[in-house]
Amino acid sequence: MFEIPSYIDHHMSENKIDTIDIQILRLLQGDARKSFKEIAKQCGVSTDTIKNRFNAMKKKGIIRGTTIVIDPKQLEKKHLVFIGIQVTHPYSGQVLNMVKRISGMCVVTRAIGRYDIEAIAILDDIEKIGMTKSTIGDFQQVKNVDVDILVDKPLLCPKNFELD
Amino acid sequence: MDVDKIDIAIIEALKKDARTSFREIARLLKISPDTISNRFERLKKEGVIINSTVVIDPSRIGYSFIARFGINVKPAYSPQVLEKIIQLPSVIVASKLVGSHDVIAISVVKDFPHLCRLRDTILEMPYVEKVEVGMWIETMELCPHYFLI
Repeated sequence: MFEIPSYIDHHMSENKIDTIDIQILRLLQGDARKSFKEIAKQCGVSTDTIKNRFNAMKKKGIIRGTTIVIDPKQLEKKHLVFIGIQVTHPYSGQVLNMVKRISGMCVVTRAIGRYDIEAIAILDDIEKIGMTKSTIGDFQQVKNVDVDILVDKPLLCPKNFELD
Repeated sequence: MDVDKIDIAIIEALKKDARTSFREIARLLKISPDTISNRFERLKKEGVIINSTVVIDPSRIGYSFIARFGINVKPAYSPQVLEKIIQLPSVIVASKLVGSHDVIAISVVKDFPHLCRLRDTILEMPYVEKVEVGMWIETMELCPHYFLI
């Protein structure tokens, strides 16, 4: 998880997020199951204040929700792969939509840089990785496909390891 | 480790809302809250569940896009480089890679000067030979279940 800025700049002023909000977010980043009572104690405000702030940030869309971080390899024995696609100039929209329909895709996005489209996928095995690569390569408007396989356990930002 | 149906059910419930009480999950699965609690602790100990966290929309707190860094390092040193990269505050995930690069890092970015600083910081790390940057357009979400954004 990325760092929450410690200051409020013009992007944030419309959302009216202050130091208590930031403190709440930081505590929940380390452990989303922390009780509001405990957070209140650490912030020096009442439990109701925390509850209200949490709900307000959810309503404003600053907080999307809470979740658990899972190691995909432990659970499903799958491979994470990065896919970089170069496309004949005007067709990136069409290719984007086609790639999005391939199974296993986590994220498919237009990009600026070496690739026109970048994707991250979770695939069962090497065979599946090969198949996915050739499926994308077979699209007429695709010039080149690079596939890189993420090995070992991907490192998430240390905030996610605070409990360990 | 082997995970059974109950473990999966616990994981699914907490994936949707990490603050769901064990009592609530126990009621849904018709087993005791203590069982849920024990299973949760075991899943954490075995590293299936790494942590619980709040999912924040980066675009609401000053970040404007996602960048992907493809990094070439002297391969034997990739663990050291990885350790350093994950310490950068805006980096969400970093991993060893097999393919055209040796390390991949994905980061949320505030603006172009921030992107330049990130790239320069990575380039200045020992054993780093090359950094390639891809900027994501219209996508501020990675894969919330695995990477939280």
